[in-house]
Amino acid sequence: MMKVIIINKEEWTKGLERLYDSFRLFGPVKQDEFHNFRQLTKGELPDLKLLNTRLSAKSMVYPQSEKMFEFTLDENRDEHHILKEIRKDYSPQAVIGIRPCDARAFLLVKANFDTPENKDPYWIKSYESNTFIGYACNTPCPTCFCTTAGCGPFHEQGLDLLFVDAGDHYLLKILTQKGENLIIAAGWSSKEHSDDARQEMETLRRAAEEKITARISTDKLKDKKTTELFEALFWEEVAFACINCGTCTYVCPTCWCFDIQDETLGLSGIRMRNWDSCMYPLFTVHGSGHNPRSTKMQRVRQRFMHKLKYYVDKYGDGIQCVGCGRCIRHCPVNIDIRKVCDLMNNFEA
Amino acid sequence: MLAYIEKIKEISRRLLQEGNVDMVIGFRRGTVPMMNEPCFVKTPEDVDNLVWDSNCGINLANYLTNRQEKIGIVAKGCDSRNIVTHIIENKIKRDQLVIIGVPCKGMIDRHKIQAMFETEIEHVTELDDKITIKGVGFEKTLEKKDVLQDNCALCIHRNPVIHDELVGDLVDEQKNIDRYKDIRNIETLSPEEKWRYFDNLLSACIRCYACRNACPLCYCPTCFVDESRPQWVGKSIDPIDIRTFHFLRAYHCAGRCTDCGSCERACPMGIKVRLFTKKLEKDCLELFDWEAGMTLEKRPPLDTYRPDDPDDFIK
Amino acid sequence: MGIEPGRLHFSWISSAESTKFVDVVNDVTAGVKALGPNKTFLKTEAKVA
Repeated sequence: MMKVIIINKEEWTKGLERLYDSFRLFGPVKQDEFHNFRQLTKGELPDLKLLNTRLSAKSMVYPQSEKMFEFTLDENRDEHHILKEIRKDYSPQAVIGIRPCDARAFLLVKANFDTPENKDPYWIKSYESNTFIGYACNTPCPTCFCTTAGCGPFHEQGLDLLFVDAGDHYLLKILTQKGENLIIAAGWSSKEHSDDARQEMETLRRAAEEKITARISTDKLKDKKTTELFEALFWEEVAFACINCGTCTYVCPTCWCFDIQDETLGLSGIRMRNWDSCMYPLFTVHGSGHNPRSTKMQRVRQRFMHKLKYYVDKYGDGIQCVGCGRCIRHCPVNIDIRKVCDLMNNFEA
Repeated sequence: MLAYIEKIKEISRRLLQEGNVDMVIGFRRGTVPMMNEPCFVKTPEDVDNLVWDSNCGINLANYLTNRQEKIGIVAKGCDSRNIVTHIIENKIKRDQLVIIGVPCKGMIDRHKIQAMFETEIEHVTELDDKITIKGVGFEKTLEKKDVLQDNCALCIHRNPVIHDELVGDLVDEQKNIDRYKDIRNIETLSPEEKWRYFDNLLSACIRCYACRNACPLCYCPTCFVDESRPQWVGKSIDPIDIRTFHFLRAYHCAGRCTDCGSCERACPMGIKVRLFTKKLEKDCLELFDWEAGMTLEKRPPLDTYRPDDPDDFIK
Repeated sequence: MGIEPGRLHFSWISSAESTKFVDVVNDVTAGVKALGPNKTFLKTEAKVA
């Protein structure tokens, strides 16, 4: 059984300070009116007075723009026109304060970047360098629907440690060996675990789960015929308001698409990849100029079909969504995935 | 507001019943507080979906581009000015439209209001000029005038400039508004200070293009940042590329922007993108005595030539 | 946008005004040289992860 330990807040802070010696630390930091993850400078503490970060923790493993190779076009040099991998820092990093939804999202994304056939070295190396210290949600948002999206405010999958704020102390659950190692580095004593602490955490979990009232139904998605869902008449209405910006895909912890670009300056250059979005016409335009997804409706349909139907069918692991609610909160025109999911789940041809 | 909603429904129902339009474009109730969703209504039965309140900040002119149908469109002051611009720029024909004008007292700023509270807002209700916000453990009533979108607080054209129907009496226009205080402040900065100012301003940008796509002016079939043969701008989040996007987009809106605020409202990162377009708006007003979208009778300054155009910058 | 004023010039020169053309080009180059290389609005390698 996994251990739950009690850490008083003073010990917590001291422990975090000790971690700078063995980890690159990342955590939520408030910038203007919202929180985002970034690397903490020595002595800086994560700001845990947050609901959730504006952008997901996706970029901790998979940055929005990432260099992959460098090259030279200088033909006087032997290695000209040869792509050389760029050295990166994959030393251990710890993300403190990641919400359970974002941690579970990495497992969904793993289905794309780390498979028996295909391995994305950038994603895998970065992912493996991480220790995720999850921050359980005592105050979920009205737009959170994680409990019906295969996740939850105290969900443990994808985390190494899970902690919760219990007033004057934190409760910390150790979930993996990596988590155990971090505890040692922080100098927190894992001897003082107790059944009382476990009980207290359970009570908080139940209270948090009860606060989540937004729900989706996904039970019938798998049995729907893809072609019929594809041709459903509701897509025109769903897509009408959409302005085809990339907000939903960029704030989403489970959207993984990217585009590869070469940039040269004089005789030297780099190859990089950037997040891309199925909302953009350029995402699918062919070299010939033909675009198989030339209309807004087709692109909106693609996003929802991918998350709620193609993924369900292909991986057998539920929907490609963890219910973090970011796309709902930040969509400029109020397209709501919960509503679309219900339309799809209840669809009859 | 309720009177407005009834009137919008009544007019829309009549237009659809009489076959004067194929669809009405308006707003329906959103699924989260302070958000309504742009929608279309094609039958008299569906008219009851239409709503109006202080959460209709998205500019509906954006939904008219190149449409072929006959359309009834709900339009507040800024929307109507962008409809004028659309007509002038041949993006829609005047005789395709029945403009349902809405005299407007401003839209509330959902970003600003959410930032006042530590937990997510659950309910927002509106009565006259009071906004009541509710969430877990709090309830607060605010004066609407204190939480308007920045552009609405500075708006001097609240009434539709062009309309076929009106849903209520015209409202008083705001007088003695200093529209450009923030712009004048930036103008006084040295080049180095300006550089840093804009670096800061844009540091959160994720290039989602919500600002561009929420803008009724940005209807180019292929935006310059999306051109790939040749590619003009890098596609990463390099600060120079981000800056290039914002500045060029603003220039493309010169003499056309009505300061409807859709760009700023849409930005998921809370960037004050209107600072760019407003500078150009100010220049157009000072140099050419021009405000965009006020009349169908005059061509915009950037597509006409007059011998007395200012040319001090040419040496 | 933060570019030094002397870096950007606009001129109106007729094809018959060859001497004005020469003067303007000389002035512009001298002015820009005096400012030194552009250090701000300049992309070298993309500043990304």
